[in-house]
Amino acid sequence: MLRVQGLEASYGESLALQGVDLSVEIGEIKALMGRNGMGKSTLLKAIMGLVKIRRGEVAVEGRSVTGMPTFQIALEGVGYVPQGREIFASFSVLENLRVGLLRFPRAERVIPKEIYDYFPLLKERENQRAGSFSGGQQQMLAIARALVGRPKLLLLDEPSEGIQPSIVEEIAEILKKINQETGLTILVVEQNINMISDIADSCAFMEKGRIAYACAMEEIMRDESIITRYMSV
Amino acid sequence: MSAAVQILNGLNYILVLILVAMGLVIIFGLMNVINMAHGEFFLLGAYTVVLTSKMGLGFWVGFIFAPILVGLLGAILEAVLVRRLYHRILDTILATWGVSIVIKQGIILTFGPEGLMVKPPMPEMVTFAGISYPSYRLFIMGVALFVIAATFYLFLKTDFGLGARAVIANPNMAASLGINTRRMYLTTFSLGSAIAGLAGATMAPLMSCDPHMGLGFFIPAFLAILVGGASSLGGILVGGGVIGGAQNAISSVYSPVVAQIVVFSLAIIIIRMRPEGILGRKARD
Repeated sequence: MLRVQGLEASYGESLALQGVDLSVEIGEIKALMGRNGMGKSTLLKAIMGLVKIRRGEVAVEGRSVTGMPTFQIALEGVGYVPQGREIFASFSVLENLRVGLLRFPRAERVIPKEIYDYFPLLKERENQRAGSFSGGQQQMLAIARALVGRPKLLLLDEPSEGIQPSIVEEIAEILKKINQETGLTILVVEQNINMISDIADSCAFMEKGRIAYACAMEEIMRDESIITRYMSV
Repeated sequence: MSAAVQILNGLNYILVLILVAMGLVIIFGLMNVINMAHGEFFLLGAYTVVLTSKMGLGFWVGFIFAPILVGLLGAILEAVLVRRLYHRILDTILATWGVSIVIKQGIILTFGPEGLMVKPPMPEMVTFAGISYPSYRLFIMGVALFVIAATFYLFLKTDFGLGARAVIANPNMAASLGINTRRMYLTTFSLGSAIAGLAGATMAPLMSCDPHMGLGFFIPAFLAILVGGASSLGGILVGGGVIGGAQNAISSVYSPVVAQIVVFSLAIIIIRMRPEGILGRKARD
């Protein structure tokens, strides 16, 4: 589904990505882990076309999206939920979701019923100002907003950040359910090992702008020293 | 002149000022570009009418063509110049200022530096509630109100407006959701320009058209935005009302010069007390 090869990208002054190779298979949930400042968020931004790529290639379903403008990458089927969620705080919940629909012709701008099955709260509170939502609710809204665009691949940046544990668990369950029911491929940057072990099929660790190690989730379950090696500060 | 006529004239000025300010603030809000050529777009709108009158096509042809022509010009300016300068506020100010000089000098070369008059398209007076008032001025107010309302509707009620507001709030996020921000910038710049062109065309028969008339609307429009706050469309209504109202009231009682001094001082005081404008919020989300 996603293939990243030899990706180099700069973010500000420093060279943040130094030759990233990563692939995500169709229907899989892949976790991208590593300490802070290792380039995880920059990698997602680079895939999305939000940081300039120096060298290397990004391909979605075999089609190169390298150098495309961000909106076009989105139209190629990549959904993005950034760190800090970045919902439109002054918009209503419904308006936030409708922004995700604007890419379609007018007649097709209907929020799919499944979205409200996964996130019933968003229907109940559709007229509420999104900025008044709690962190967890905003996260659900941000995920739903990406999903109404019917992506094939979803990039999630730290969905558990600043959210209370019970909601993190709920979000993890919903993601797993969506993945199983729709076959949505997910690449998720996450520090929360509990969440990852609940949902991920495979895992890659970043270190200093490169993928240092990649393996199936079972391998980590057997040998937790892998986590300590790449995650402990 | 009776007080009622004064008030109507003041209202007239305020509404046109809001039109000019609205084009300016749409462009600023969406792209963070301060279009210094906005006054010259107004000028071009007025001279479109001058030209069609001269050619014998009459006022109304110019009135229809002015927003189309100026809107097109705005689109071209965005595509060849402004687009290359995003995120460089100072450079866009310089570049669009340069464009304003070119337009102004172009007008001088073509039409000469002197003031030109346009034959009033609707010379009749209308009598109502005991006062007699030029029908054309009522027409202007109608047009201005309509365009202001239509712009509000466009930005607050339509899907286009939803996309535009998303881009204003967070351009990267909007693009990540599949919105073509480039095209949005082009459309909006063109739309803001067209409104300025329309404002110029409507005002042409009321004033002597000379190459500096754009500045006479650009500066108060700019003040209106600063005073009202650039973060919301509603701010312009307040800013336009305060600046236009003060300007008009004081010029009719004292003189336009006194009015300018007072309005500038007023603007400075308001901006000093409320740097984000009367309706402005501290920061955008």
